[in-house]
Amino acid sequence: MIKFENVSKKYGSNFAIEDVSFEIPEGEFVFLTGHSGAGKTTLIRLLLRDINPSCGQVLIEGRDIKTLKSREIPAYRRKLGVIFQDFKLLLDRTVYENVKLATEIDGRTTSEEEEKIKKALEGVDMLEKSNLFPRQLSGGEVQRAVIARVLVQEPKIILADEPTGNLDPVTARQIVGLLEDAVKEDKTTVLMATHNADIVDHLKHRVIHLESGKVASDDSKGKYITRFKT
Amino acid sequence: MSNSLITTKMINTAAKHIRRAPYQALTAVLIMTLTFFVATLLIVLAYSTSTLLKHYETSPQVIAYLKSNATTEQITTLQRSLESDTRVKKVSFVTREQAMEIYKQATAGNPLLSQYISPNVFPASLEFSIKNLNFAQGLIDEVTKELAIDEVAFTASLGSSQNLPKVVERLTRISNYIRIGGAASLSFLLLSSLLVLLVIIGMRISSRRDEIEILQLIGATPGFIRWPFILEGLFYSTAGALLGWILGFLAVLYASPALSSFFADIPFLPTDVPALLALLGIILGGELLLAIFLGAIGSLVAMKRYLKI
Repeated sequence: MIKFENVSKKYGSNFAIEDVSFEIPEGEFVFLTGHSGAGKTTLIRLLLRDINPSCGQVLIEGRDIKTLKSREIPAYRRKLGVIFQDFKLLLDRTVYENVKLATEIDGRTTSEEEEKIKKALEGVDMLEKSNLFPRQLSGGEVQRAVIARVLVQEPKIILADEPTGNLDPVTARQIVGLLEDAVKEDKTTVLMATHNADIVDHLKHRVIHLESGKVASDDSKGKYITRFKT
Repeated sequence: MSNSLITTKMINTAAKHIRRAPYQALTAVLIMTLTFFVATLLIVLAYSTSTLLKHYETSPQVIAYLKSNATTEQITTLQRSLESDTRVKKVSFVTREQAMEIYKQATAGNPLLSQYISPNVFPASLEFSIKNLNFAQGLIDEVTKELAIDEVAFTASLGSSQNLPKVVERLTRISNYIRIGGAASLSFLLLSSLLVLLVIIGMRISSRRDEIEILQLIGATPGFIRWPFILEGLFYSTAGALLGWILGFLAVLYASPALSSFFADIPFLPTDVPALLALLGIILGGELLLAIFLGAIGSLVAMKRYLKI
């Protein structure tokens, strides 16, 4: 599903990421960890096709996304669900309108889609607050609304960049739980960049750990926790 | 999504943008209104001066007074010669009696002036108009040389033949001043309006940068992001054009009785209401097209400058 082949990204003479290679199959939940400046966000931006690698290939379903033409990028991004630490909801639209936006830009406005929106809002326990504006919600509620928007998109891949960064531990676990449900129910691939050791510790998914732009480790369940604590 | 749904959505978004910053919207519309108000007046003025010039160029102008001893044959020959001349139109022979009637009508307010005058006082004449005033001087010189002709004169509005070149020159100069001056002021106003539009749409884009980023991230097409800004620019320019035209229309309606009275028989503006409405309708159509062009260009330039997607 996602494949990095010797990918490097350079800004001037500095490498944001250097010679990164890994592969994530469909339906896997992967944590991307590392300290600030380790290259997590660069990696997410590469996957979003927001930037291009200086060298190497980023392959999604076997296609090098660098070869995407400008007009193909919106359609490509509609296959991705993106969640950020700073929420990214339109402040002048209600929760419902924000979620609906995902279907509008995709050209889907049937009554079936309306049902999907309601179902997604129900799934994140936000149906009752769907007529409220983002400023009227708590951080956890806003992030749940973002997840509802992502779920309505029915993405093949969810990219989450510190989605729990502004949330308390309990809410953070709820948010990650929603992402896990997406993996289980829809075989969605999730790549979640995080600093949150508790969550990584608790969920025991595959961890790709970055240090100074390089893959320091790509472990299976649990090993990260030990190293993180030492 | 069907095109109509895209359009409705985009129109709603554009309307939301406008409602959210009413003072910026008002500024843009007012500047556009001023531009198109001045444009309406300048176009009407250009039309009027052109009509005025055409009137002088084509109305009966030359009166060739015949000698009292001119023979019928001489008169007929000259009349036929003028009728076949491509520079001339509307040749008519005015008898002494008809000349007397014209004089009586002209002095109707003071009957004493015509009471004791006999038709013999008035010479018969050949009256004709000239298709283009530039031919006037040459033609007058030719006619003056004819044996049957005593004197050649012009209609009262133009004065004597000596004044003709000056009158034509002055009218042409005024007409050119209005056209060139009008075009220059209009260009200046259009450029200012375009810049105001550009700045306001640019401000809109800057203030919505976060929203644009979110839309890009979730896969909105450039068209989905751009169209509301284009529609916003089109709204400002067309609303301004419509308001400016309405104000110009009212100003023309207000001034037309006074102008008609001042210019008397000269059709400075169309005299009947349908013709006047047709003229203003054509101006409105032209201005709306110009407004659409201006709005689209302003928005597109602003997007090229501020919206990197």
